[in-house]
Amino acid sequence: MTTEPIVKNQGFNERQIKRIFWRRMAIVLWVSFFTAAVESMVFFALFDPAYLGQLSSFGVDVSQWQGYALGFMFFWVFTFSAALFSGLVLALPRTKLAKRNPNA
Amino acid sequence: MSNQDTKPVELSLYKAHEKIYPREVKGRFQFKRKLAVWLLLGLFYLLPWISWGGEQAVLFDLPQRRFHIFGITLWPQDFIFLALMLIIAAFSLFFFTALAGRLWCGYACPQTVWTEVFIWLEQLAEGNRNKRMKLDKAPWTREKIFRKFSKQFLWITFALWTGFTFVGFFTPIKELSMQVWQWTLGPWEMFWLFFYSFATYGNAGFLREQVCLYMCPYARFQSAMFDKETLIISYDEQRGEPRMRGKKRREVENPGDCIDCTLCVQVCPTGIDIRDGLQYECIACAACIDACDDVMEKSGMPKGLIKYTTENALEGRPTHILRPRTIVYFIILMTLVASFGVALVNRSAIDMNLIHDRNTFYRIVDSATIENVYTLKVMNKGNEAAQYEVNASGIDGLKVVLGMNETGISAEPGQLVTVPIKIQAAKDAANKKIHTIEVTVTKISSDGSDSAAEKVKYFGYNK
Ligand code: SF4
Ligand code: SF4
Repeated sequence: MTTEPIVKNQGFNERQIKRIFWRRMAIVLWVSFFTAAVESMVFFALFDPAYLGQLSSFGVDVSQWQGYALGFMFFWVFTFSAALFSGLVLALPRTKLAKRNPNA
Repeated sequence: MSNQDTKPVELSLYKAHEKIYPREVKGRFQFKRKLAVWLLLGLFYLLPWISWGGEQAVLFDLPQRRFHIFGITLWPQDFIFLALMLIIAAFSLFFFTALAGRLWCGYACPQTVWTEVFIWLEQLAEGNRNKRMKLDKAPWTREKIFRKFSKQFLWITFALWTGFTFVGFFTPIKELSMQVWQWTLGPWEMFWLFFYSFATYGNAGFLREQVCLYMCPYARFQSAMFDKETLIISYDEQRGEPRMRGKKRREVENPGDCIDCTLCVQVCPTGIDIRDGLQYECIACAACIDACDDVMEKSGMPKGLIKYTTENALEGRPTHILRPRTIVYFIILMTLVASFGVALVNRSAIDMNLIHDRNTFYRIVDSATIENVYTLKVMNKGNEAAQYEVNASGIDGLKVVLGMNETGISAEPGQLVTVPIKIQAAKDAANKKIHTIEVTVTKISSDGSDSAAEKVKYFGYNK
């Protein structure tokens, strides 16, 4: 996420840029956390983590609590990547677009 | 510059957060809100302590994978009930939003409810709005340190108690309190206790309205359920404008009823001015109604300059409570509730599954008899150990033989037992290629009968 072009274009100062960045990150974190929580609920209502542990290709021995926690982390990593990716793609580098615009 | 289309989006993200000091307010709506706070929080803090038939009445036992709710035990196989319940909750939300706007936000949302308590504790320690604002600007005197410290103490204690109660829904709370007392908490209980405490502290103490503004999904889509007949909180512009205060009012001919005291702004927990019109930040807490009603009363004008109303009413048209949208939501909601009730009443404490043996259609037992072999899975979803018998019907003279050396089927609560069974029939009776039979598993008990049934294929003796 290049933040510099925004400084030049919109006159946001350093602190504001930082604030935007961290708020975006907070949104990404929160949205991915929320989705991961819902996913884990549905998933573990259907599958018993202790049983899954035995079936897995690593043959790990997990208790239910460990299973829930691991599963949640597992989901969160993926939802976080997806949300981060969306955030990254949504934050267009505005300088270039602005210059191409004839009315600029 | 051509960034006009991007700028408004960024604005809200770029705007620095300004702390809001909501002013305390009393009135009929605030009374109702307090009632709701007491009721909901009372329920939350007391429920885990209630026993029902010797067990904690509400316990979501995640390690054992079962939920106890007032004597009913739900297993993962009962997932449908959880799903139905969530759908019912969603439709209630739609229904009430269409009817009365953001009732949920103002009265029932945990975010609002806990924030109320935190604001109340803050007042206790730091005084009213003016004192709080002054205190924040003042240098760090002994008094400020004392007041800030007391606030943190109250907040943290309350947050920890909340976290403890939360974990108490998942671990038997009496054991948990012993563990806390002896400081022998397991790592998971410890983690969740602190996690939930921290979440409460952060959300209700600091983030407050920002949760509603930036994080809440409902706040973003609730407007989709709104129409011109939905109850909203609104300022009567016709009556209020031109607003003016004090002396000026006597000089002009027809001043509006709004005396521009800005009390409605000061009490607003989200820091908006309702006089600017309906805004998405408004959580419909009705604090501004109470504040303004008070002002109107004191200045001898009729109440209701800010009030619950509808867009139609504001434009002088009649408001309909019954309209396609609410009727449809209501019908769906009632259907769901009814099916939930019926399903719960008819819920069997037995879960069965019958699979036909893959390898053979049928086996010959003797010159007159054949048999089909199945694998039967029975799960005991009740609260006590149980014995079961298996019967089959659909062909005359069916006989069920439990496989191996089984004499009967018995299962502990929550146990899943797998038994091979043979179902025997006379060749003459089972003379079609494929029959359909019904296999019933019945709990053997003196009081009432509980059973589950499943239809399966039966391969007959057919030349
Ligand atoms: S509380 Fe009522 S009178 Fe006071 S500023 Fe608000 S709308 Fe006007
Ligand atoms: S505008 Fe009024 S109802 Fe809306 S949040 Fe503020 S005080 Fe509450």
